[in-house]
Amino acid sequence: MSGRSHKTSLFSQQRGFNLQYLLLVVGSSLLLIFTFLFATATGSVHLSLAQVWEALFCVDQCSVDDITKKIIWDIRLPRILMALVTGVGLALTGAILQSVTRNPLADPYLFGISSGSALGAVIVMAIIPTAVISVTFGALVGGACSVALMLILAGRSVTQVERLLLSGVAVSFMLSAFTSLILYYSKPEIAATLLFWMMGSFSNSQWHELWMPYGIVILAFGIFLIFRRWLTAIQAGEESAHTLGVPVVPLRLSMLVLCSAVTAVLVAHVGGIGFVGLMIPHICRYLVGVQIDRVLLMCVLLGGSFMIWVDVIARSLLDNQVLPVGVVTSAVGSLFFFIILKSRSRKV
Amino acid sequence: MSHHSCVFEAKDLSWQVNDRMILDHLDFCIMPGEFVGLIGPNGAGKSSLLRCLYRKIIDYSGDLLFQNQPLQSYTRNQLARQIAVVLQEPPGQFELSVADVIAMGLTPLKSLFEFDSEQDRERIASAAEQVDLADKLEQNFNSLSGGEKQRAMIARAIVQNPQILIMDEPTNHLDIRHQVDVLKLAKSLNITVVVSIHDLNLAAAFCDRFILMDHGKIVAMGDHKAVLNEQHLSEVFGVVARIDQHPFHTTPRITFDMQIANEAVVNSPKEQP
Repeated sequence: MSGRSHKTSLFSQQRGFNLQYLLLVVGSSLLLIFTFLFATATGSVHLSLAQVWEALFCVDQCSVDDITKKIIWDIRLPRILMALVTGVGLALTGAILQSVTRNPLADPYLFGISSGSALGAVIVMAIIPTAVISVTFGALVGGACSVALMLILAGRSVTQVERLLLSGVAVSFMLSAFTSLILYYSKPEIAATLLFWMMGSFSNSQWHELWMPYGIVILAFGIFLIFRRWLTAIQAGEESAHTLGVPVVPLRLSMLVLCSAVTAVLVAHVGGIGFVGLMIPHICRYLVGVQIDRVLLMCVLLGGSFMIWVDVIARSLLDNQVLPVGVVTSAVGSLFFFIILKSRSRKV
Repeated sequence: MSHHSCVFEAKDLSWQVNDRMILDHLDFCIMPGEFVGLIGPNGAGKSSLLRCLYRKIIDYSGDLLFQNQPLQSYTRNQLARQIAVVLQEPPGQFELSVADVIAMGLTPLKSLFEFDSEQDRERIASAAEQVDLADKLEQNFNSLSGGEKQRAMIARAIVQNPQILIMDEPTNHLDIRHQVDVLKLAKSLNITVVVSIHDLNLAAAFCDRFILMDHGKIVAMGDHKAVLNEQHLSEVFGVVARIDQHPFHTTPRITFDMQIANEAVVNSPKEQP
């Protein structure tokens, strides 16, 4: 009897208060804070961490000059905050889409959202004068339309996840074709701007643009956490989740729409940045297991750090030149997958 | 005859897919505390019937009552609090740990805003203890053997604390020792159990009552004397069956003559129109 209660309490400890998990969370939080400060210090004008700290937190009698403050507050912070929310948002939606579709390859761009947003942006840039509506707005409308189109095309088979994925892929190709067509007939300078936009960039981020990405990412994070039990249960199979009282189809559809909304807002603001939504959730699961609340928290910490680092690399790898963020994430991402494949095949 | 205390009661229950009758006008009553074995050849409709009971299939005709109320009138949560289901293949795409799987049993018992309490964790641990998996809680679910997976799924059902346990061929792919283990475990819960089983001797040893199905119809229903007789089995399975006393138990033992299967089908008296 004493053996049993000992085992029981040992297990309770493990599940309730997991030291390894706690250390990971603390470590990742410290990494995020360091990343944030380091990225603020890095740039064409190099600043020390002390200067950054002062510029951020000193109220009066500061030793940093106004120009430094201006660089930090007006140029670097909005950019870093945009990178942060993008990384967090894409990692969170990736984790959720992978669990509700039970497809480890699911990704926020799977449903043609990025191609829809790109088409919207292209139309605004190439056809409608930008004075009338902004590129961001065009991309937002484009992303929303692509999701609507996917749901319409899927029609009654919207309950079957495979059909839904296939119709998403079809929409994606269809919209990409339109984008290419417009690109083909547009002026070279517009085509260049467009290409750069599509590959993703945080260069033009402004304070006043941040509210929408932050608003929707925080909202989505809250909703994901509320439904964490259902989202965990669905990972063991649809029918099994059904027998636990989980409304599988409504849950999946509403999560898809919510993730699409997050992705559309992010793509509209920063362009198409791939691989983050695929890679970060996999790393997080590897580190903390599959309990959704843990995975999501790690996605916030690691996704944010990762994207800020990518931006640092993108703007400091080449002198006086900013690389497209999408190029850096895809390069790092594919490398990551090779490593995973290698380590998996070694295990087998 | 009134069935006021039935847990499940079907009246003229039918289900068809594209004009094909999968369940053909079924009437039955499952009483509280019974261990009911659903037997019959492949494609007889056993799994479909079970899927009706846990409300995965809803477009049936006829009536299906759960505790004297239409099954449809319950909320998902009410059902999940009373009916636990162990499915044939617990699939695992993600690397769920055994503890993760067992903890899922809490899903219907908790509101969306509630966190696991110390009691819940103890419940998970004691369920794992009950199915003898206490030392494997942190292991990857996919790394378990077939028998251990089934036991983990039963532990999940135990955490759910149901009044009814439905199991769809829980003994498939298991060796004889683990087949017996799984059914013993189900029996030890002392709740209503509805289980589909292929192995008739196993069914004979554990079930109080049998529902024998073929081509979507109920061929026979009742205790082993009423259901497990040579004529029924020859008719339904198309092989010659001999039934005698099991050498170890009071239950019947079924032996099949594997050689003259076709002849048996031809010679067996067909009552169907």
